[in-house]
Amino acid sequence: MVKRKVGALEKIDANLSNLQYKIRRDPTSYKEDFLNQHSQYEHQREIFLQAPSSATDDGIISIRDLIDFVAHVADCYPQDTAQFPQDLMNILNTHHEELEPELREKVVGSLVLLRRKDIIDSPTLLHALFPILISTQSKSLRTLLFQKILSDLRTSNANTTNHRLNRTIQTVLYNLLTSDRTSSKGLWAVKLTRELWKRQIWTDSKAVEIMKEASLADNEKVVLGGIRFFLGGDKEREELEDESSDGEAVDMGRLKHQMAINKKNKKKARMMESAVATVKKKEKKKKQPHPLNFSAFHLLHDPQGFAEALFSKHLHNTRSKLNLEQKLLVLQLVSRLVGLHKLTVISLYSYFLKYLTPRQPAVTSFLASLAQATHNLVPPDVLEPLVQKIANEFVSEAAAAEVASAGLNAIREICTRQPLVMNDTLLQDLVMYRKSKDKGVMMAAKGLLSLYREVGADMLKKRDRGKEAAMGLRSGQRKEQRFGEEGVGEIEGLELLERWKKEEREGQRIEKGLPAEKGSEESGGEDEEDPGDWEVDEADTDDSVGWINVESDKEIDISDSDDDKPAAKKAKATSATSKVDDDKENAEDQVATAALKLSSLATTRILTPADLAKLQELRLSASINQQLPASQRKRAAQQAAALQARHADDPLTAAEIEGLASLSKKSTKADKIALAKAGKGDESVHQSTQAKRKEKKEALGKSTTNKEKARKKNFMMTLGKGKAKGKRSLVEQGRVLKAHVERSKRGGKRGNKGK
Amino acid sequence: MGSSARKKKEKKRDFKRPKLKVGKARPKSDNFTDTSFKAKAIVLARQSLTTNAPSQSTQFSHHLSLLSSRSSSQRRDSLAYLTTAIASRPVHAPLPQPVSVLLPKINPLILDGSNSVRSQLLKFLNTLPSREIDPHIGHTLLYIRAGLTHLAPDVRSSATDLLLWVIETCPNELVSCTGGWVKTLKCLLTVLHWHAATLTTGKGAAAGANAWSSARAPTLGKEGSEGKLPVKTLNVLAAFLRAGLIEEHGTDADATYSHKWPFPLRYVEAHTLPKRSNAFAHLNLFGPSRDEESEMYVEREERQSIFQKRFHACVSSGVEAAKREGGEVGRAAAGVAKVLVEGMEDYELDR
Repeated sequence: MVKRKVGALEKIDANLSNLQYKIRRDPTSYKEDFLNQHSQYEHQREIFLQAPSSATDDGIISIRDLIDFVAHVADCYPQDTAQFPQDLMNILNTHHEELEPELREKVVGSLVLLRRKDIIDSPTLLHALFPILISTQSKSLRTLLFQKILSDLRTSNANTTNHRLNRTIQTVLYNLLTSDRTSSKGLWAVKLTRELWKRQIWTDSKAVEIMKEASLADNEKVVLGGIRFFLGGDKEREELEDESSDGEAVDMGRLKHQMAINKKNKKKARMMESAVATVKKKEKKKKQPHPLNFSAFHLLHDPQGFAEALFSKHLHNTRSKLNLEQKLLVLQLVSRLVGLHKLTVISLYSYFLKYLTPRQPAVTSFLASLAQATHNLVPPDVLEPLVQKIANEFVSEAAAAEVASAGLNAIREICTRQPLVMNDTLLQDLVMYRKSKDKGVMMAAKGLLSLYREVGADMLKKRDRGKEAAMGLRSGQRKEQRFGEEGVGEIEGLELLERWKKEEREGQRIEKGLPAEKGSEESGGEDEEDPGDWEVDEADTDDSVGWINVESDKEIDISDSDDDKPAAKKAKATSATSKVDDDKENAEDQVATAALKLSSLATTRILTPADLAKLQELRLSASINQQLPASQRKRAAQQAAALQARHADDPLTAAEIEGLASLSKKSTKADKIALAKAGKGDESVHQSTQAKRKEKKEALGKSTTNKEKARKKNFMMTLGKGKAKGKRSLVEQGRVLKAHVERSKRGGKRGNKGK
Repeated sequence: MGSSARKKKEKKRDFKRPKLKVGKARPKSDNFTDTSFKAKAIVLARQSLTTNAPSQSTQFSHHLSLLSSRSSSQRRDSLAYLTTAIASRPVHAPLPQPVSVLLPKINPLILDGSNSVRSQLLKFLNTLPSREIDPHIGHTLLYIRAGLTHLAPDVRSSATDLLLWVIETCPNELVSCTGGWVKTLKCLLTVLHWHAATLTTGKGAAAGANAWSSARAPTLGKEGSEGKLPVKTLNVLAAFLRAGLIEEHGTDADATYSHKWPFPLRYVEAHTLPKRSNAFAHLNLFGPSRDEESEMYVEREERQSIFQKRFHACVSSGVEAAKREGGEVGRAAAGVAKVLVEGMEDYELDR
């Protein structure tokens, strides 16, 4: 058969993508064509609906292409395509099981496209997709839908938080969880919530409420999803934040250098501009106040009820289907709740009793959980049998060293939180283990000893008390703490900060040549708030010289703008009264005034983050510096800082209980070698240090020296010059030599003057 | 480097072509293997000369399955085979496969990309007995409508031919099946670009004046191998309107029938079993609910009223515009106008 001649234009024109392109450029002119294709789409849809499962693709144009086409140009003809999104939703809703995968994907993609073009709104889209997500059997479709739903939620929360949308979706998820507690469909609610929590899109208590419902569900998977969220969700969020903040750091110096060297063109200039913009944006972001992110624990509405429900449902319940590992997770969550919110779940402690034997699998986790569940409001008589049991079962001469050290550690952790559980016979008995041969046991016992030197020295034998504690006891400074006693609320070390501030201020005034004391009528441009004061300076860590430029005596004016002058004066007056008059005054006087004006600093000023950081530092140095000789000061400071770094919200893990046990185990040679090799990097390639450096330089994309270039130069390229060299006349030779000298003086061909 | 003449020659030898000479045996190649052998006797295993040829019916179903083949020539040939098989069967013999099996296979070919397949398809459909097609026409109509607005002009043209065929074979079923009246009409109007929105909102004379210039918006692609699509479509439209609006020859027998029966019997047809297949389809007891467009319009009055309501204005203005264009298009438009007048005159009287 002879092939019919086809004109080039005809060949090109008759496809949907071309029509789409033309429509996008000029919608009104191509309306007729669009209507044709739209009715074509409708007919194909009818044909498809007659037999959805056996939709064939052998025609020239498949329904898939038509759906794609209509979705892309739908925004040009809103009236004609008003029914289109609803049609797609119907198809997806009724036939998603039997649709062929590609068509299904196209329908979902088109719906999302329509959302992007603002033809349908987010709630509509999510209400269409979410039911399918939880009901479909197909894994690929689930993945696709989950991703689309997530990205839609992210985009609609990108600029401002879309509270209405969030609320509706959260309600949907909540209802999904509460309507059928036994089904595993709730897992999608958990997944979605966790993902959005991680990305800080949902940070409110409603999301936490969803997870709370999840962890009280009947399905194991859902329960574990909820529990894991509480145990790890916040950490995950922080990690993601860190990642995003230090990711793709732009090296401006390098870029500028490259701009100076490489050929300049518009593209490069544009790239440079965008890099500058991103850097600026990042800087701005860094300056912004940190958003308040409460951890999921703090957003819980009824922690007591939650902890009780969790305990009675999953742990105390004999019909609970969870295995040991899962139960441990639940236990961790319950004990963290109890410890953090100081809840009272009395039956929890007797629950532990059964598990506190060295033979119990994962006993260290149980010990850690027990310690975590202890706080100063737990009655000591509830805890006492537990501590006694740990001491009996774990800590004995007969027990293995690891077991003993774990037991001692656990006892110490419990006693840190509730010192009243200990009685003196047991304590003295346990402290004796500091003479143990095994290092782990010895250190654990010493830890316990040093703890009780602080909190209950009178229970120790006289010779164990130590100098400071003994003196404190004798002078009556140290008092025994009673159950339920709370210290007077104050900011520890505030007087130190105040004194330091005063010194700083005086130092500044002396620098300026003013008298050290400031008159109350003096005022000036000082009062303007400099945003730089607010932030903690990252560059200088502990050298106090760097802290001078933090001018903290300036006040933040919170009053209204129209009457700011009198208010400022008043504030000045109060600050003037709060000042300690003279540095010649003796120390007792200082103490007395500080005690009198204890709270004045905190009540009259807002402490900036810089202030707080300084306060922390002062507190540390004050606690260390007094007692120790200079040689040990540094080490003590490090230890104290490490202790400080541990946040009160951080969980106590089994690793911390086991901690010292690694010391008591004798390490094999292989272990030692592995330990020594760790962090050395890959040693498989033997290279000289020079070669390594060179490789590193090359990997960084840095340039080579002239010498290196000369060394690498192709031999054939040097031949010509070599030949010519032989034929030079004497005069020429002289000229060349002179030029060489001249060049070396100048410092290279172009000179080395720089710019 | 190796510059000796011997080495060069050695290298060249590999690529030398053997010279062939007329009348002489071909020189044997290097890897020639002698496969000849000697034997005392040669015995052939017993072979039968008769083969089991596949029966007529299996061949038929085989070709039916080949209709969804990848190659267009294969589809065409199979279709041709089916055509001859049906045409050459003895008179009054039933079809090798029932129409309900044939049509689902055949229908997708209406949108086939190849011209020859589609022309062969028309031939095939012509061989089918019209009475048996009647109940299935609704499904075929779906494809025909899709063909009418197809992106490829050739498909559009052949779909128009097919619509004409349907009008000729089973006009009653065509206009009274689900969506057969309104949707088809709408589709035809879209093809003619007599779009309801533009023409009804256009302010009468102004719209007409625009149509004068016949400067239509630029359309995509050419008109295909046959450039006279509008004329053809107009003719089809006329035929379609005639089928829908003007009283059919079958129904005017009503009167004669009433004469046929003796006195006590009146309107016997209303009480006997209906002759149509699926007589209660218009009640739509089990299907999804229908809207105005996909509703069945069984009676002529119904069709007239919906036509009056939705299409009359734009069809008549479109016809006016086409008439003014003159020539072949004008003549065809005049045909439509005539049908329009004929079909709608008694409706006007009713009102």
